[in-house]
Amino acid sequence: MTARERAGALWRRLTWTWQPASELESGDAIVRNLWLHWFPAKVARASASWNYSLWLGAASAILFLILNVTGLLLMFFYVPSTERAYGSMKDLDYAVTLGWLLRNQHRWAAHAMVGVVFLHMARVFFTGAYRGQRAWNWLVGLALLLSTLLASFTGYLLPWDQLAFWAVTVGTNIAREAPLIGGWIRFVLLGGSEIGQNALLRFYVLHVFFLPAIMWILFAYHMWRVRRDGGLAAVEPIRLARAVQPKAVPATKSYSLFGLTRGTSVVVRSSTELEEKDEVFSSPNLTRRLVLVFLIVFNVTLLWSLLAGAPLEEAANPAVTPNPAKAPWYFLWLQELVASTTIPIGGIRISGGLIGGIVVPGILLSVAAIWPWLDRSPADSEGVWFPPRRRRQNLTFTLIFAVIIALILIDVFLRGPYWHLYWPGTAWPTMPRSL
Amino acid sequence: MEPRRQDFERADYAWMVIASVVFFLLVAIAAWRALHAEWQPIQRQFRTILEGHDQIEAARRFDLGIRQIWNPEIGVVDRCVTCHLGYEWGSRLPADLPQPFAPHPALSYLDQHPFTSFGCTVCHGGQGWATQSAAAHTGGEHWDDPMLSKALALRYGLAQSQLIQMRCNYCHRHDLSTPGMDEINEAKVLFKKKKCLVCHAVEGRGGLTAPELTYFGDKNPELFDFSRVDGPRTVFNWNFQHLMDPDKVSPKTTHPTFGFQPEQAKALTLMLLSWKRNSFPPQYIPRPIEIAEAPYKIVNVAPEPPMVPGADAGRQVFHTRGCAACHTVGAGKLLGPDLQGVGTRHDQNWLREWLADPAAVIRAHPDLANWPQEYEGVLMPNQNLSPAEIDALAAYLSRL
Repeated sequence: MTARERAGALWRRLTWTWQPASELESGDAIVRNLWLHWFPAKVARASASWNYSLWLGAASAILFLILNVTGLLLMFFYVPSTERAYGSMKDLDYAVTLGWLLRNQHRWAAHAMVGVVFLHMARVFFTGAYRGQRAWNWLVGLALLLSTLLASFTGYLLPWDQLAFWAVTVGTNIAREAPLIGGWIRFVLLGGSEIGQNALLRFYVLHVFFLPAIMWILFAYHMWRVRRDGGLAAVEPIRLARAVQPKAVPATKSYSLFGLTRGTSVVVRSSTELEEKDEVFSSPNLTRRLVLVFLIVFNVTLLWSLLAGAPLEEAANPAVTPNPAKAPWYFLWLQELVASTTIPIGGIRISGGLIGGIVVPGILLSVAAIWPWLDRSPADSEGVWFPPRRRRQNLTFTLIFAVIIALILIDVFLRGPYWHLYWPGTAWPTMPRSL
Repeated sequence: MEPRRQDFERADYAWMVIASVVFFLLVAIAAWRALHAEWQPIQRQFRTILEGHDQIEAARRFDLGIRQIWNPEIGVVDRCVTCHLGYEWGSRLPADLPQPFAPHPALSYLDQHPFTSFGCTVCHGGQGWATQSAAAHTGGEHWDDPMLSKALALRYGLAQSQLIQMRCNYCHRHDLSTPGMDEINEAKVLFKKKKCLVCHAVEGRGGLTAPELTYFGDKNPELFDFSRVDGPRTVFNWNFQHLMDPDKVSPKTTHPTFGFQPEQAKALTLMLLSWKRNSFPPQYIPRPIEIAEAPYKIVNVAPEPPMVPGADAGRQVFHTRGCAACHTVGAGKLLGPDLQGVGTRHDQNWLREWLADPAAVIRAHPDLANWPQEYEGVLMPNQNLSPAEIDALAAYLSRL
C-alpha cells in the first residue's frame, strides 16, 4: 500500500460516514445502540421539525449535559468553605489553565438553561401539548422547572462573593415569608439562621448531588413519558385528520361461503395510526439533527463564555450590603413584586414578602399545575401553534409571561442604588469607596 | 420494493458543516487565548534581559509559568511576581530597568519583612490573585482594595510611601511609634495629645459621647454622609475634610475644631483608615518599640505646654486629662463653657461633686436638666478621675 493510499484510508477512517442502506438497517441502528435506543425507530416528521418544538426541550437537556460535565470538572478545583471558596474562583479565573472558560461556560449555560426551560414551558402551553394523558408529563415538567431554578439558585451562592451572598440573602428572606413553614424552610436550607459555612455546605451538596440526581431521574421519566404518550403532541392533528378521513374500502376477496353474501368483510376503515408518509427513520434524521442542535447550543455557550466573563464581585462580606442588592435574574420579578407591595403606612411597613414572594408565585404555580384539568378547549386545538379556539388562554399566558419578563428587564437594567429607577442614558450615582 | 425514503431536510447537512466549523473555530480561539496569556511575552522579555546582563545560567534555568508568593498564614497569594520578575535582582541587574522588571528598592525594613513570607500586596495593596495587569493593579470595579500607587497617593497630596504607611499600621497599630512610619507616628502622638479618647472609645478604652473607632477602617463607605464633602466621594476625603473642618462636613457635630495642619489631618486619616479587623498570627505582630528607643524624629508635633515651675497639681491634671479639648480659660466657649471665673460661680464642694460624676449632679438637681442643651446636647463625660486628682483640679478651678 502506497503512502498515498494509506493517507487516503486514514482520512476515510477519520471522516467516517454512515448511511443506512435499508429501512431495516435504519431501524436496527436505533434499537441496537445503547445511547439511541430510547428514541423510537421512526419519528413523525412533525415532531422532528424545527418549527413545531423549536427543539427547546432538547436544548434544555443539552445545556443540562454541558452543566454536568463542566460542573464535574469544576468540582476538582472548588472548595466549599467560606475561607477557600472565593479563592477557588480567583484561581479558576487567573491561574488554572482554561479555568476561566470552565467557569464562564458553567455560569452562562446555567443562565441559558433557566431561560430555555421557561421557553420550553411556553411552547408546550401555546401548542396545548399538556392535554389528556400528557397532563402528567406537564406536571413532571413543572417539577423539572422548579428543580432547574433551585439548582441555579444553590449554585449562585457557591462563589461566595457579594453577589452570591446578598442574592441568596434576598432569596431566602423571601422564602421566610411563607406562612407557618417559611421560617422553618429557611432554617433547614441554611442550616441555621444566617448564611455562613453551614449554608454554603448545604447549598453545595444540594447543588452537586441531590438536585442533579433528581433532575436526571425526572428527565429520564420525562422522556419515557413522551414516548408512552405517543410522541410529541404534534402528531395529534395528524391522527385526528386520519380518524375522520375513512380509507377507501378495498375490494372484498373471499374464498369461503361468505363470498356469496353481499357487502364487505371486516376491514379497518379509519385509523389513528400514523402512516409511512408521515414518518421518517430516527436514524439518521433525528440523530443528525440532535447532533446539530448540540453543536449550536454548545457553540452559543462557548461564544458567550469567550465574550463575557462570569461575574465575580468582592468576597462575601455580611457587614457591607451592596447597593442595590439583587436576587438572581429569574427571581427578580418576585423581588420587584416584594418591593412594590411593601407599603409604608405611617411608621409601620407592610411587608410585601407574603404577596410578592409567596402568594403571587404560589397562585401562578398552582394554576399551572391544575391547568390541564381546567382547560376545556376542543381536541383540534392540540399540537398546533396558537389555535384560534385557545386564543383567550394563550393571550392570558402571554400577558403573564410578558409582565414577568418586563419586571425582570426593569430590575436588571433600570433598578439602581437605593432601588431607584434610572432610565437608560441617565448615569447611576457613583457609590463611595474607601480610597 | 419502495426505495429508502430520502432524508427530510437536506439543509441540515449544510448547517452541520457550518456549526462544526464554528465549533472548531471557537475551540481554537479558546486554546489560543490560553496559550497567549498577558504574562508570557513579559517573561520571555525578562529572559532576554537576563541574557543581556550576563546571567546566562539564570536565563537557562528560567521556565515560563505563573509564579506566586504564597503564605497561607497571612492570606497572601501574590501572583504579582509572574510579571514583576526583577524584584529580587537588585544586586545583579541595573536599578533603572523599566517596570515590571525593576528591582525592588533596598529598603531598610525589608530584612524583617522578606518577600518570601510577606509578598507584595501586604504593603502595596492591589489584587494579588490576578495575572492580568488591569485586574491586578486597579482590581477592577469589584475590588475595594486598590493598589496604593503613586497616582493614587498624588490624588490626596501624599507620597506613595506615606500612603503605604496606612497598610504598615495594619500590623504596627500597637507600636508607640515605628521607624519609617513618620506620618502614622505623628498621628499617634496627635491622637493622645488631643485627647481623642475623652469622647471616642478605642479597644475598650475611652468615652462614650462619640463613635467607637476600633475598626473604623472597616466602616461601610455608604454610611458616611458625603453631601457636604468636596471632591470624590471617598472615605479618605470625608475624614480629611471632617478633621479640618468638622462643622462643614457634619453641621450638627460636637466635634471640636482642632485647627489641624493639612498634613496632620492626612496623617490622622491614614491612621483611622488603617484600623481594620485583621487577624495576623502572633508571630507577625511586631514587638512594641518604646518611643525613647526610636532613632527618628517626630515631625510637626507642637511641644507640650511647659509646666510652670511650682505650679499646682490641678493645673497639671487640667492639661493631661483632656479638659483642654473642650474648655478654655478665658479664650471663649469651645464645646464646653469657658472656665474663666468658674470659681466664682461654683464652690469647691460643688466642683468636686461635678468632677466625680457629672451625670449624678444633673440627676440630683432637676433644675439643671436642660443644661446640656446649651452645649450642643453633650453632657461632660465622666473622666474617672482619682480622688486626689479631683481635689487638685477643684482647687485649681476655684481660683480661676
